[in-house]
Amino acid sequence: MAPRPRTIAEKILARASGKDDLVRGEIVEARPDFTYAHDFAVFAIDAFEAMGATRVVDPDRNAVCLDHATPANNKRDANNQARIRAFAERHRFRAFFAGGTGISHQVMVEKGFVTPGALVVAHDSHTPSGGAVGALAIGTGEAEIGFLWATGRLWLKVPGSIRVVLDGRLARGVYAKDLMLEIIRRLGVLGAVYQVLEFQGPAAPTLSVSERFTLCNMSAEVGAKGGVFVPDAVTEAFMQARAQYPYTSVAPDAGADYTETLALDLGALAPLVALPGREDRGVPVAEAAGTRVHQVFIGSCTNARTDDLAIAAAILRGRQVHPSVRLMVVPASRAVMAEAAANGDLAALIEAGATLMPSGCAVCAGVHQGVLADGEVCLSTSNRNMPGRMGNQAAEIILCSPATAAASALTGVVTDPRTVLA
Amino acid sequence: MSGSVLRGTAAVFGDFVAADVILPARFAFLPTAEAVPHAMAELAPDANARLRAHPILVGGNAFGYGSGREATARVIKAAGVKAVIGGPFARMFFRNAINNGVLVIDCPALIAAGIADGDAVTIDLDACTAVTASGCFAIAPTPPIIRSILAAGSIVDYGRALLAARA
Repeated sequence: MAPRPRTIAEKILARASGKDDLVRGEIVEARPDFTYAHDFAVFAIDAFEAMGATRVVDPDRNAVCLDHATPANNKRDANNQARIRAFAERHRFRAFFAGGTGISHQVMVEKGFVTPGALVVAHDSHTPSGGAVGALAIGTGEAEIGFLWATGRLWLKVPGSIRVVLDGRLARGVYAKDLMLEIIRRLGVLGAVYQVLEFQGPAAPTLSVSERFTLCNMSAEVGAKGGVFVPDAVTEAFMQARAQYPYTSVAPDAGADYTETLALDLGALAPLVALPGREDRGVPVAEAAGTRVHQVFIGSCTNARTDDLAIAAAILRGRQVHPSVRLMVVPASRAVMAEAAANGDLAALIEAGATLMPSGCAVCAGVHQGVLADGEVCLSTSNRNMPGRMGNQAAEIILCSPATAAASALTGVVTDPRTVLA
Repeated sequence: MSGSVLRGTAAVFGDFVAADVILPARFAFLPTAEAVPHAMAELAPDANARLRAHPILVGGNAFGYGSGREATARVIKAAGVKAVIGGPFARMFFRNAINNGVLVIDCPALIAAGIADGDAVTIDLDACTAVTASGCFAIAPTPPIIRSILAAGSIVDYGRALLAARA
């Protein structure tokens, strides 16, 4: 009997757990194809050592990229980072990337460690970013990574999948971030819990890997286990001369069983912002227009790639950031920074008044610079805006696209980017 | 936990308490004992004391959503919490709590029926029930692997035994 038609997540998980068929909701023991870690790996090392483990299974399938607290703020963080480097070197990990290389999710995709059809695991909630290239990329805790290093295995519940059908073309001034804020607004912060968002539809091939990254990355903001794009010619072009491992792309079967279908007409979208406190509080930017902004952060794994910086630079070139605004620009990786330096976008942003900071998570989680004062508002291209996220619960965070961020940096108030685009 | 029955008094928290609110990221690198005084401290002036006072944490819709930092689970465990019930809960919060030996049970009906700080809660994993003064509520069966991790104490204890058995 032929197996029943399956989703991408079901096919990848079945292969990784050595099973022909899976029952949704069942717990399987899987062997991930690639695992990565960042600064919080110290707790994975603690767990590994406390288990009495001495050998990492498949070190060639493991990598580390430090990103949360680099360059180190204090002796404790510096010592943690030195310990992680020593561990990765002692156990002969495939790669170790020091602070400044970039945000781990970005670096692992950009350098080809995340491959189409792979089961990828990392101890971070934004691991689903890897779905941009057709991987099933899942976030876990830190101790589990220690367990995985020691045994090569971990448990995963077989998820259902929500089919997200994208149609139409984004209008001028509207971006992938606006689309994702709309999806989050519709589903809510746990609207896809234990589900995978499978992005497909006529508009999917028109989206770049960077745009797909934005969508898969913020799958975390609907509680999803992952987000994944059906691999296509765009994926193949991106992987060429980049893939670190051989891979087999996985597409869904015709007739696969989805728990839900969410259809979106990209052409009907307007720029959105997510109001402070929760990521599902999306409203048209017009509803928040005029709100005073003290800090603008163009950064994070969500929206700080070359195309994002180009969008911001196009708005800010030859102009000046409003004197009451601090604009912080943090390229998602050193490679992005180099590209934006070479094409002139970085200079345009700096000349407009941006402060350039080292590639990493930076302001996003309130652990490394850019902390807000009481009563201040930060307009951010990042992914989270719950109280205190940037280190001060008496401040507020509004989420938006790089275009809305740049337009608002010019005016000092939340601004619809369509009003300043040339 | 050992055995299938857990009894204790409840500390009740509301909806949409994010992982970043349970423990802000800037405290997540601290040794757990030093981080515990910061747990829930930004939620309300008495939240940390309430967290420490009761072994059962009743968390509302999406309690623990957002960040997957495991420090969130480590501080809840270190504060003396044995079980978290209510929800529904985010998957990374669920995994991290289980891996630290803290039982997590989705049971929104228990909250809807009414529960207050100090109320007794009895969770029976064999009978698949949670009982409060407001009623007896059905809970989903706890899968064997989760029972095994909880019985061992944590995923570290479970892993230690597994590696020792292989040696």
